[in-house]
Amino acid sequence: MTTTYDAIVIGAGHNGLVTAAYLAKGGLKTLVLERRELVGGAAVSEEIFPGFKVDTGAHRIGAFHPAVLRDLGLAAHGLELVESDLSVFSPLPDGRAFALWRDAQRTAESIRQFSSADADNWVPFTQLVGKATGVLEAAYRTAPPDLAEGTWKDIWAMARLGGKLRRLGRRDMPEVMRILPMTARELLDEWFETDVVKGTLAAAAITGLFQGPMAAGTAYTFLHHHVGAGNGAIRPCVRVRGGMGSLTAALAAAAAQLGVEVRTDAAVEQVIVEDGRATGVVLAGGDEIRARTVVSNADPRRTFSQLVHPPHLTPEFTRKIKNVKLKGVCAKVHLALSELPRFSRAGDNGAQLGGTISISPSLMYLERAFDDAKYGSLSAHPYLEAVIPSVTDASVAPAGKHLMSVLVQYAPYHLKDGQWDAARCDALGDAVVGTLAEYAPNIEAAILERHVLSPLDLEETFGLTEGNIYHAELTMDQVFFMRPVPECARYRTPIEGLYLCGAGTHPGGGVNGASGYNAAREIVRDSKREL
Amino acid sequence: MTTASRYDAIVIGGGHNGLVGAAYLARAGKRVVVLERRHLVGGSVVTEEINPGFKYSVLSYVVSLLRPEIIRELDLPRHGLEILPLESTLTPLPSGDYLARWADHDQTRRELYRHSPKDAEAYDDYGKLMYHLAFAVKPIVAMIPPDPTSLSFKDLKSLLKLSRHFRSLGSEQFHALFKLMTMSSADFLDEWFETEALKATMSASGIIGTFLGPRSPGTAYVLLHHYMGELDGAFRSWGFARGGTGAISESIAGAARRFGAEIRTETAVAQVVVKNGRAVGVVLENGDEIRAKVVVSGLDPKRTFLQLVDSSHLPDDFVKSIERFKIRGSSGKVNLSLSELPDFTALPGKGAHHRGAISISPSVEYLERAYDDAKYGNYSRRPYMDMIIPSMIDPGMAPPGKHVMSIFVQYAPSDLEGGWNEAKREAFGDTVIETLTQFAPNLPRAIIHRQALTPWDMERDFGLTQGNIFHGELSLHQLFSLRPVVSFADYRTPIKGFYQCGSGTHPGGGISGWSGRLAALEVLKDW
Repeated sequence: MTTTYDAIVIGAGHNGLVTAAYLAKGGLKTLVLERRELVGGAAVSEEIFPGFKVDTGAHRIGAFHPAVLRDLGLAAHGLELVESDLSVFSPLPDGRAFALWRDAQRTAESIRQFSSADADNWVPFTQLVGKATGVLEAAYRTAPPDLAEGTWKDIWAMARLGGKLRRLGRRDMPEVMRILPMTARELLDEWFETDVVKGTLAAAAITGLFQGPMAAGTAYTFLHHHVGAGNGAIRPCVRVRGGMGSLTAALAAAAAQLGVEVRTDAAVEQVIVEDGRATGVVLAGGDEIRARTVVSNADPRRTFSQLVHPPHLTPEFTRKIKNVKLKGVCAKVHLALSELPRFSRAGDNGAQLGGTISISPSLMYLERAFDDAKYGSLSAHPYLEAVIPSVTDASVAPAGKHLMSVLVQYAPYHLKDGQWDAARCDALGDAVVGTLAEYAPNIEAAILERHVLSPLDLEETFGLTEGNIYHAELTMDQVFFMRPVPECARYRTPIEGLYLCGAGTHPGGGVNGASGYNAAREIVRDSKREL
Repeated sequence: MTTASRYDAIVIGGGHNGLVGAAYLARAGKRVVVLERRHLVGGSVVTEEINPGFKYSVLSYVVSLLRPEIIRELDLPRHGLEILPLESTLTPLPSGDYLARWADHDQTRRELYRHSPKDAEAYDDYGKLMYHLAFAVKPIVAMIPPDPTSLSFKDLKSLLKLSRHFRSLGSEQFHALFKLMTMSSADFLDEWFETEALKATMSASGIIGTFLGPRSPGTAYVLLHHYMGELDGAFRSWGFARGGTGAISESIAGAARRFGAEIRTETAVAQVVVKNGRAVGVVLENGDEIRAKVVVSGLDPKRTFLQLVDSSHLPDDFVKSIERFKIRGSSGKVNLSLSELPDFTALPGKGAHHRGAISISPSVEYLERAYDDAKYGNYSRRPYMDMIIPSMIDPGMAPPGKHVMSIFVQYAPSDLEGGWNEAKREAFGDTVIETLTQFAPNLPRAIIHRQALTPWDMERDFGLTQGNIFHGELSLHQLFSLRPVVSFADYRTPIKGFYQCGSGTHPGGGISGWSGRLAALEVLKDW
């Protein structure tokens, strides 16, 4: 059978599209196969309410890989990123609020109403975060080195990272090493005393994680979510004009211009493996498509337990894949609103609602929310991260109406009793609206439509195993050269010609294109070697 | 008054590490004096007759990791050290059933099979892996932690040695070790086993001395401790010293004396005397001053640097780091005099299980809930407990027919809501007895005497800051080169001639004597 493509990318998530575009750039005839009717994976905008463009999956982007923005000329393809001056608005039941601004000084002033000590510590804290994330960024921009059996290349790569760490100096280097494995609580207690400040910062440490802020390693996850955000930026709120779908649309357009072919409604059923080598895929309809290289944007569990026939893998490897921790904890609730929620008694809304709204009054509030999930039930008082894109982007809602997207945590995929069903989804929706109403009482009356996505829905809609939004938990044992498992940490897999490019690989987590970018570089390198 | 300097070295604190340090210094021909605040040596490793006729291993009650090198080099058996093995681990369950692991491997397999054939199969593979990993970390435990911030030949060399060591492990073991260092004990064990009681009893060892639950990352590596001992041929490294743990301290003290060390009890040190950046001696609480070339502290880092030394002699950054050192206490201890053995519903009558460890850890959720209480400032309503009945192993511990029982209890947070007091301590003791009574209903009527110890008591009576039994939490950011403070993990301090040798230094925790030995060897290098 003749090979019609050099490379097939399974899944048109944002990382898959990034990888495809770079493969085409590298001279590979590339085909992207997407199960759904639209591209974008978990970064899509869908009209689930008539007249509303709803970001059903991710509603914010992380620090998107600057090289990708540049190389693919995404701006020219219609991508417009909007960063709000107010990054996070964190209200309290008593009507006061912590406002986290892009401008560190301004944030410090907002903190002063709670504690002048905390206000004074704010800028130094952001500087430490900037230094630590700077080191991580260097590690995130390349494939992780193979420390166990690597060549001099790997050792050199590791030495370079070590050098980067050393350049922090005798004072900051050990400090960065010290804080990485700490608990978010220990780290924040060393800096701040105000509950809402610690809660709002800790929230960034536990997003997508089946852990509370008192678990070791959450200081790392806090830093992870700030890599590339720019010096000391904390929880920046960057959104895409026109909705997340516009980002992946721009990526698809850029890819198409580079010669990539994208097919939607084309679900891959299986990866064809012949003599230990991937040679193509079989579609749901039974059609076969051949290619020398197959790249999976699906999460590692889905890739190896569904797309690849077990006999092609060793039992040891299969066991490791089975042990990859996914443990989804997030749900999404979308609300169509007749008016804006009124949070602060002070009034003056619009300005407060342009960024992320974070229901995280204290670190202990988050820990208690986790306690419920730890024993298999939905948080009675969940952590909420909400955005109202219609405040800054009229194109996503009908005139005068508003759209609110809420990330809910903790909603464990594995419930102690039973499964996620309609009744449980309603209960979750009620819990979210009830929680919001404690801060913005008018919200209940303002709701026109409500749409709930449980972790199970996230799995079924977006193909996220166990509803894990990061394709694999971001815990210390599953990052860097351990992500998702050592055998696949460098985007190659035990099956020759089969690669991973999704968030389940280093550095993973968040809409930033970093995994797709790193994967493409390794794949192109290999294909050149083969020719 | 000032006595002329009759000494080369002063060791502050007669805890087991201080005694080991003193013994090695004396062995090298140095004139050493050990200054102990209490009336007996041993620190947290003491046997006391709180209730006449009944000997309590008051705090530390099992030998976990006492290094064979030390036993050999100090010839401790000659000074009365005799380690008796603990033959089993019993986990009674609320259902009335139990899980037991016995000295006899086949018997353990049969018992595990009863609960889960899969676990019985996995148990041996797991044991093999842990044995190999224990072997892999042994050299790391035995090495002086390098200073990652330094570019000195010595440090770079040992960093290189370390990376070579890791590479020598090979991919599988290296990654398994990495997982062990970074995972939660619960997650790590979930990959192997399905029996709740087995996972809980094993993961319990990962939470001891930390303020973490079994589901928190960083609790898995302690699982190794159980296997470290096997390398030295002991049974799962858990043992009991004839005469109680105090006998260990006595034997080390005996060795130290034989090498010429002088040991003064009821001699509390008030201050370390520092003259132009160098430690020259100590001032006692009674005002006496003792001079020496070198001063070594076996106390925990906070006591050592925040109480014994005037902060003006230390760099601000260093003081700040010591202040930030995490040393929250999370455990308590209950010692009982019994008129009869506890009769376990799960395993009625007197049996081999009474000669081993008994663990109250029916499920991981049980441990997590115990932790949740502590998180919010209470002691656990249903605590994790690890206990032994020394009188069953060494009849000399109690009058004929009577028994003593050592109960380690977690969690009992040092920062209890509203603080600790006598009433709360006794309420805590009641909780422990109530919990045990569910498994051994005859316990209450068997109790002749009870001693309850909380972190509050441990700080006041044993000088353990915040009652932390390991002189500092054994969490990832306080291990190896970071214990207690980076650049000072090699037992030296910012003050010349002043050293640390307590559990607050690498490798820390448990009765290993390792900190004392490594510290003494470093002191001698600088001599």
